[in-house]
Amino acid sequence: MNKIDPIKLGIIWKRLNGMIDEVAESFIRSSFSAVVRENYDMAFSLLDVHGRQFIQTKKSIPSFIGTLPHTLQEILKKIPANQFSEGDVVISNDSWLGTGHLNDITMVSPIFKNKKLIAFAGSTAHTVDIGGAPSPNAQDSYEEGLCIPICKIVEKGIENQVVIDFLQQNLREPEETLGDIRAQFSAYDVATKKLLTLLNEEKLNDLDQIILNILKKSEQSMRKKIKDIPDGKYVDEMFIDGFDKPLKIKCLIEVKKDNIIIDFRGTSKQINRPINSVFNYTYAYACYALKCAIDPNAPNNDGSFRPVKIIAPMGTIVNPTRPAPVWGRHLTGHYIPPAIYGALSKVIPKNIIAESGSPLWNIYFKGRQENNDKPFVKMFFMNGGHGARSGSDGPGCLSFPSNVSNQSIEQFENQAPLLVHEKSFVKDTQGVGQYVGGPAQKISFESKSSKTMMMTIRHERVIHPPRGILGGGDGSKGIDLVNNKKIPAKTSYPLKFGDIATFQTPGGGGMYTPKKRDRKKIINDIESGLLSSKKAKLIYKKQVERNKDA
Amino acid sequence: MPNQPIQFLIGVDIGGTFTDIVVVDQISGKQFNGKILTTPINPSEAVLSGVKEILARHKIDPKKCRIIHGTTLVANALIERKGVKTALLTTKGFKDVLEIGREWRYDLFALDLEMPSPIVQRNLRFEVSERLNFQGKIIKKLDEKELIKVAKEIKKSDVETLAIVFLHSFKNATHEKLAKKIIQKHVPGLNICLSSTVSPEIGEYERTSTCVANAYVQPIFKKYVNLLAKGIKKIGIENDLFLMLSDGGIVHEKIAVEYPIRLVQSGPAGGAQAATLFGKIQKISDVLCFDMGGTTAKACLIENGKPNRTTIFEVARVFRFSKGSGLPLQVPVVDMIEIGAGGGSIARIDEMGLIQVGPESSSSYPGPACYDLGGKLPTVTDSDLILGYIDPDNFLGGDMKLMKENAEKAIKDYIAKPMGISVLDAAWAIHEVVTENMSQAATIHALEKGRKIEKFCMIPIGGAGPVHACSMMAKMNINKMISPSNAGVASAIGMIASPNAFELVQADMQNLEDLNFIKLKRKFNLLKKEGEKSLLKTGTKLNKINISNSLLMRYIGQGYEVEVPINNKCLNSNNIKNISIEFERVYKDLFGRIEKMPLEIISLRTIATSISSQPVIKQEKINLSIIHKNSKKRKAYFGGKTFLDTPVFQRNNLPKNFKKNGPLIIEERESTLIIPPYFNLKMDSTGNLLITKESRNEK
Repeated sequence: MNKIDPIKLGIIWKRLNGMIDEVAESFIRSSFSAVVRENYDMAFSLLDVHGRQFIQTKKSIPSFIGTLPHTLQEILKKIPANQFSEGDVVISNDSWLGTGHLNDITMVSPIFKNKKLIAFAGSTAHTVDIGGAPSPNAQDSYEEGLCIPICKIVEKGIENQVVIDFLQQNLREPEETLGDIRAQFSAYDVATKKLLTLLNEEKLNDLDQIILNILKKSEQSMRKKIKDIPDGKYVDEMFIDGFDKPLKIKCLIEVKKDNIIIDFRGTSKQINRPINSVFNYTYAYACYALKCAIDPNAPNNDGSFRPVKIIAPMGTIVNPTRPAPVWGRHLTGHYIPPAIYGALSKVIPKNIIAESGSPLWNIYFKGRQENNDKPFVKMFFMNGGHGARSGSDGPGCLSFPSNVSNQSIEQFENQAPLLVHEKSFVKDTQGVGQYVGGPAQKISFESKSSKTMMMTIRHERVIHPPRGILGGGDGSKGIDLVNNKKIPAKTSYPLKFGDIATFQTPGGGGMYTPKKRDRKKIINDIESGLLSSKKAKLIYKKQVERNKDA
Repeated sequence: MPNQPIQFLIGVDIGGTFTDIVVVDQISGKQFNGKILTTPINPSEAVLSGVKEILARHKIDPKKCRIIHGTTLVANALIERKGVKTALLTTKGFKDVLEIGREWRYDLFALDLEMPSPIVQRNLRFEVSERLNFQGKIIKKLDEKELIKVAKEIKKSDVETLAIVFLHSFKNATHEKLAKKIIQKHVPGLNICLSSTVSPEIGEYERTSTCVANAYVQPIFKKYVNLLAKGIKKIGIENDLFLMLSDGGIVHEKIAVEYPIRLVQSGPAGGAQAATLFGKIQKISDVLCFDMGGTTAKACLIENGKPNRTTIFEVARVFRFSKGSGLPLQVPVVDMIEIGAGGGSIARIDEMGLIQVGPESSSSYPGPACYDLGGKLPTVTDSDLILGYIDPDNFLGGDMKLMKENAEKAIKDYIAKPMGISVLDAAWAIHEVVTENMSQAATIHALEKGRKIEKFCMIPIGGAGPVHACSMMAKMNINKMISPSNAGVASAIGMIASPNAFELVQADMQNLEDLNFIKLKRKFNLLKKEGEKSLLKTGTKLNKINISNSLLMRYIGQGYEVEVPINNKCLNSNNIKNISIEFERVYKDLFGRIEKMPLEIISLRTIATSISSQPVIKQEKINLSIIHKNSKKRKAYFGGKTFLDTPVFQRNNLPKNFKKNGPLIIEERESTLIIPPYFNLKMDSTGNLLITKESRNEK
């Protein structure tokens, strides 16, 4: 009964992948917010009636893919499967049930065939504003904005006006957020139609056998890859900037046959500042890091992570309890992959990368438009240098472990009264090594607003730079300046007309000893202006001198 | 040069292996084809000798001819990085925009993903102080002293060409133009491209990428076109040379050399134009043109007799044909998807124990295992051979012998044995997977445009297209297909089939409610003038020029525009409401709903088309030789229990009004048409084959 022809399975699996990408594309094309459209800050999935995810979009944020199944499972605890009707959409942005902060709204919609619930279409999308006064100084989660409890925002195809009104009243830019929410409604319709057509054509009444097989095969693939790693315990410990004092992330990886345990015991206790990463988010990034390192080509679904167990003690920054502030949870969560790679570097160095200039850097600008005085909240994303790879240099400014693209400067200047003076690579910021990290970038903004605008930043790696590995050097630290004076990395800062805020993201860490770097590459780095000859002489002494002789 | 009356149109398409030449007599509709080996070092050599020969053979007066040419030169120069040494000049602070790109991972899980390396290396990227704000107002004057210093630097390097890209220059080109003037003075002879000319649209990364690519290929392209233009005069063709653009329009050589980047899809656009023409002859307006070659397959939708167009294109992808791994170009192109599925695509078993095909390809060397050139891995062509779809002794008209044993061994070793299935089942699975991949890509492509693939009629071209077309029809639930005669020279036919046309875009962001109709009309009028200017050069008369206008619009806050056609009635109504009604019609068609939200205009688009230039092609009645009553038979497999005895026909021997039900194999020199059971074939009076599907549940 569980037997399904592998050729047929392959074809149906392909079709499901294709259809979910179509669904996501139709959302992206009709969305209202730049973060969805230009930064692809969203994900779409298909999940089974138990909340297990079996298909996901290609274009998406790693964390969302990992958290959606858990969110649906929590939804099903509150609204059991038998209480769903056709045309329902359930919404929530609860940080502990969702992706770890309120700005990500998750929704799911049931798909029925012949009155039988056969799957859910689910999506998560970022919204720039969720009301409240999120700030780096928030002491608890209540300050961080509107929490939408699990509820039906659409019932049998009709919008629940109460929920809509709550959103309308509590958000600064309700048109953008509601526009995106509604664009997802029509994407669910597309998902339903597509899936039913597929079932009809494949002459299937439900997806049960298909899902079972997809999950099983994905699990087998992961187990096989884990088995290839020698059994043992591998540990790493790292310090992060934190708030008032550095915090510690400890990661112990235990590989036992085809199972893997990632244990974060020994990590710092949660703090009353918004950098805590709820378990969901920690889990998602741990799974993502593992998958990239050991099984990057297999599909990503619930089955892939059955062999993986994650231990994160309650009350730590990697599993905080309510009502800890969590708005900037990526400030801890984005350290999960480097912590895991630090441990794995001891056993599978070829599979991993040196540390990147992340957590993702971003800036919130909040103020009023010059022409119509309407309030605006604009976000600007910046990535640091990518960590060196085991066979190549890290690219300059490529997103990892998140996957958030930048925004066009020309578009940005059309949306907010700011003038960008610079966006360029910075010399001598790459972690040295046989393979160097990607360079940092520097961006500066001048306020052109006659009214003071509020700029909020929460940046990491201004004290602890991205580490190089296996002999590679560290990347450069990040820098935050206003009018050429240093400002704290986690702060809200009023920008007056003519003030210039400048940011330099961290550079990527290097890999392997610099003694092994190819001479040609060093010369090229110098010529391109990314490496000073002074630093070159200091670090790559042997190669540079040899070049002189040649 | 006064253009002569033109009786013969000559379409020339240069491919990797062959240069195709098609001559059509505009009076009689007669068509003559020629094929000659491409001369890669100097492609114009093959063109000239081929044209000369075909004209002589058919005693055609060169004075009565016009050559229309499509070329892969621009695309190849970008893919193989064979342009000239290029420099870039940007607004101070932005020289790295070209390399930073979008900072986005196009592959989520590949830690070692490769980013396209920028065409201009960092030491040749220069900056100068100047600045416009988002409205296009100058807020910092161009620093001429600084610029002269830069000019001297450029002069010192051995750069041949320069791209100038300033922020917001699509709103105001003053600084770019001034910079060009100054640099030209100090570096005489330097080739210079302005982003405000090449691609006047918002988005600094994409605009920079486009302008740089244009600058990079322009010198070699100019050289090539000049050589060819001179050459055709030498063989007596006095009419000027014309070239095919990526969106299927035809322009005079003088326009083409200004915007070589607009020719990046020149060859494939020819294929789409040909499919459009074949559709027109059959009075079918909605066509899916499917082109499958050795490494990739392309699909393009043609609606209402026009190929779909888009304004963003990616060339030279560096990682598994992944979207995002190439260089983005903002140019009007025929909208095609391209996926890594061709005859040479390699089949393998993935981590899940499932069969995957492509995107890795064995290319033409070592090629599929059956080529016997050292390729060991199983490919789509190997599977086609085992299934009996291609004849090992009659590949490329027998010029190349295929080794069936090699194909069997490759499929056995890499697929059948590890999966515990027979070689035949494995070959069939490869066929199923690759046709599914292609069907899916085409279906998604249609859906991205809000269309259903079922309504289209399929026209397969390219070597491997007709082999797989029927399987795809079944998967996409398409009922009708046309297999044109002369599919092998389709692109060259397309060159002739296209109208003279030129597209102009002008960015002009504003809220719809603030729209000033007088200004809008003035702007459209300027675009019209410019379009007319381009077409007058083609010899088109002013009263034979058709102008169509559209606005690119969206709800305020959205980031993707939809194209809203604006006719004169709407433009002259001076009523904003009429524009929003048009918008809603288009939007609803695409996304299924409309919002109660304010609208904005992003840019204006005008296409000038010559009405008179639609050529006459009556497809020539093909030579009908004696019928082979007892045609050959070959065993072919179409799923099910066993091989079927399948009759094989030579296409050029088919009798008039030929009609037969599948299974059937129709062979041509360059391709084989496979008709499975439950498909019916019929020849029309012009020699095209019509294929229909019997019922949905044939499998």
